[in-house]
Amino acid sequence: MAPSRVEPGTVAEAAAEVERARAAGLRVSIERGDGDVVLSTRRLDRVLEHEAGDLTATVEAGIRLSALAARLAQAGQMLALDPPGDPTVGACVAANLSGPRRHRYGAPRDLVLGVTAVLADGTIASSGGKVVKNVAGYDLSKLFCGSTGTLGLIARVSVRLHPCPQAQRTLAVDVASAADATRLALAIRLSTLEPSAVDLLWRAGGGSRLLVLFEGSAAGAAAQLAAARELLGGDEADASVWEETRAWQSRAGGRLSFAPGDLESLLQDRAEALVRPGVGCAYVPEPVPDPSDPAALRLLERVRAAFDQRGTWA
Amino acid sequence: MSLPAGLARELEAAVGADGVIGELDERRTYECDGLTSHRVVPELVVLPRTAEQVQATVRLCHAHRVPFVARGAGTGLSGGAVPCAGGIVISLARLNRILEVDLESARIVLEPGVTNSEVSRAVAPHGFYYAPDPSSQQVCTIGGNVAENSGGAHCLKHGFTVNHVTGLELVLPDGELVTLGGKGLDPPGPDLLGAFIGSEGTLGIVTKVTLRLVRRPEAVRVLLAGFDSTEAAGGAVSEVIAAGILPAAMEIMDRLTLEAVEAAVGAGYPDAGAILIVELDGPAAQADGDLARVEAICRGRGAGEIRIAAEEAERALFWKGRKAAFAAMGRVSPSYYVQDGVVPRTRLPAVLRRIAELGSAYGLRVGNVFHAGDGNVHPLVLYDRRDPDETARAQQLSEEILAVCIEAGGALTGEHGVGLDKRGKLPLMFSRADVEAMLRLKAAFDPEGLCNPDKIFPPDVPPDAWGVHPLERLARGA
Ligand SMILES: Cc1cc2nc3c(=O)[nH]c(=O)nc-3n(C[C@H](O)[C@H](O)[C@H](O)COP(=O)(O)OP(=O)(O)OC[C@H]3O[C@@H](n4cnc5c(N)ncnc54)[C@H](O)[C@@H]3O)c2cc1C
Repeated sequence: MAPSRVEPGTVAEAAAEVERARAAGLRVSIERGDGDVVLSTRRLDRVLEHEAGDLTATVEAGIRLSALAARLAQAGQMLALDPPGDPTVGACVAANLSGPRRHRYGAPRDLVLGVTAVLADGTIASSGGKVVKNVAGYDLSKLFCGSTGTLGLIARVSVRLHPCPQAQRTLAVDVASAADATRLALAIRLSTLEPSAVDLLWRAGGGSRLLVLFEGSAAGAAAQLAAARELLGGDEADASVWEETRAWQSRAGGRLSFAPGDLESLLQDRAEALVRPGVGCAYVPEPVPDPSDPAALRLLERVRAAFDQRGTWA
Repeated sequence: MSLPAGLARELEAAVGADGVIGELDERRTYECDGLTSHRVVPELVVLPRTAEQVQATVRLCHAHRVPFVARGAGTGLSGGAVPCAGGIVISLARLNRILEVDLESARIVLEPGVTNSEVSRAVAPHGFYYAPDPSSQQVCTIGGNVAENSGGAHCLKHGFTVNHVTGLELVLPDGELVTLGGKGLDPPGPDLLGAFIGSEGTLGIVTKVTLRLVRRPEAVRVLLAGFDSTEAAGGAVSEVIAAGILPAAMEIMDRLTLEAVEAAVGAGYPDAGAILIVELDGPAAQADGDLARVEAICRGRGAGEIRIAAEEAERALFWKGRKAAFAAMGRVSPSYYVQDGVVPRTRLPAVLRRIAELGSAYGLRVGNVFHAGDGNVHPLVLYDRRDPDETARAQQLSEEILAVCIEAGGALTGEHGVGLDKRGKLPLMFSRADVEAMLRLKAAFDPEGLCNPDKIFPPDVPPDAWGVHPLERLARGA
């Protein structure tokens, strides 16, 4: 049987679809095609609230980053997530997507304030809130970060925003070896620079580069660029170099997490990688096996079962 | 209630005789946390020294179906560490070692009983610090901070505990040891680590923590501005945020709090209806530029005296009064309730006005000292506990203030947690379905309900008492 595709226009409709599928014993997948029913958030794309003075927004999960960015830019603000491509906000949360500016602004888990989800039994549950500080109840909005459709449909998301920087300046430094990369990364870590992004384009065969982004007031960004050049060498580069790292990231087969201090050994036996040395994550060509503690995986299995007793999510 | 026969001896075998407290007088020390209004004397207190001993203790509790409550320094303000009847307390005070300082990774690995300020002290010589700084930092433990997702004045720019913990080792309620995360970020799968932080000791006991360290900034600038009223000061805060400036901290104290603070620590603040403290940190060029803009905003909003700290000693003095504010209230009132609500930052002036109105209507004084930058208000309702009528009114007023915060689109608690104190208020912010989803997580971690039971979730709620979550309310309005 070919999967049927449904595109609810409201969260309540989405919940009704999930409920109906579950009652019929059908499996539901979100956006991708492996369930009996494929649920799409394409029409759930409204901005429910943008409080510029609070630097917060609440959106439906199907809105694309580009559409949201255009809306927020009118107030000089942004959602500081810059993964490659133009995913929906829901996809960013579900797959924990981030880009170069992860270094300064964090991952979805750091920017999400609240989530409304549709659970496997069709109930609609919210957690977190729409204010920047809140510890009421369990923060399930964190749990949904990285959940890739296994715990529920992410239907609405409330996020923390940032002011768009007045100025952006990029420094590019040629990197000769793994030891060189390690030295540069450490120099940044021990310095008082506050870069927004630090990306290492690593090619063991030669041509590796470290890209460092500074944002802020015109004077602030310029002063940091000058201080960074003094410390690291290199030259100012055009902002378009960041497209290169985003292209690398989108080609990657997997993402791995490492202790920032282990950079050198990470690079030692790798032909190529896009590394965020300050964050401690690297995008590599091959798929990366899940390194989690087996006890944590068992715990996660229990969490999944608690949220999806009948195995509704495909 | 009494414990199963033999448990005390089994526990002594597991942690040593000096690790089990049975004397009633000594157990009483553990009957409450910083919020002294809820008290239960535990049947036993266990003081393990290692993660293995925590594990052994929890396994015994699990085998005998005895509930247990983890305890750090007991400074919590929501009754989170209050023992449960017929249960034991597991104190993490002896797990207080710093295990590894890894500057190349900007990480520190430590046991949960290490106090918050010890972390910064340990790495200060290397130019690093630990950013979240609850006012109780000299005493409170990292384990307690993780459990409460604690915040502090400097969380505005740098984030809360959850943004600084990269790895945890914990003992699950059945005694299994689990590691979540590590020194790197963004491991695959749902963010169990993030969901655990702020779970108020109800999902397991933390035995090891990996924290992110932050480099000391090149420049720190602190400005102190006196305003006629908290409303005026709140207006300046909104304008700073709207101008796209992200200070490290923005804190407000009102006249009543200032009086108390002056009496307690003599910080020498200007005579004003309210003062605003703004701290900016980062590269000098950025911090100086932002400082000038903040100063202009304060002047535009009618600030009287403006002081800018010239040196570290003066900066410390600006902060000394703020950090001592809760304790100082004892100088102006025999008793006080500390409320902990959150409002959208743009609603600060309106909510502060409403709090003042409510205070007059109840005939009670309300002091305001708060994390203005993130909308986290701490109205302090002053009363005399020897007067039962006044005590009842004070409690009612404090609750009404909370309802005002939530009505404004805010939250039930910004940093002190729900614990025992606010569990009855959970329905103000959540629907039944919202809370049932949370209970699924609880069931996955603690199916027997032994780990800090009775906290966060209300025992019985009439069907019509459940509320509507702020996100749901927004969607209905849209
Ligand atoms: C004067 C004063 C000022 C304060 N200022 C602030 C502030 O600015 N910001 C703020 O956020 N809070 C503040 N607090 C509240 C309090 O200090 C924090 O909540 C702190 O994190 C509690 O730490 P603790 O070690 O005292 O924990 P406890 O009070 O002992 O316990 C708190 C909770 O944590 C759990 N717990 C403790 N250790 C563990 C562990 N190892 N594993 C699992 N669960 C554990 C307990 O079961 C309990 O539920 C203040 C309190 C006081 C008294």
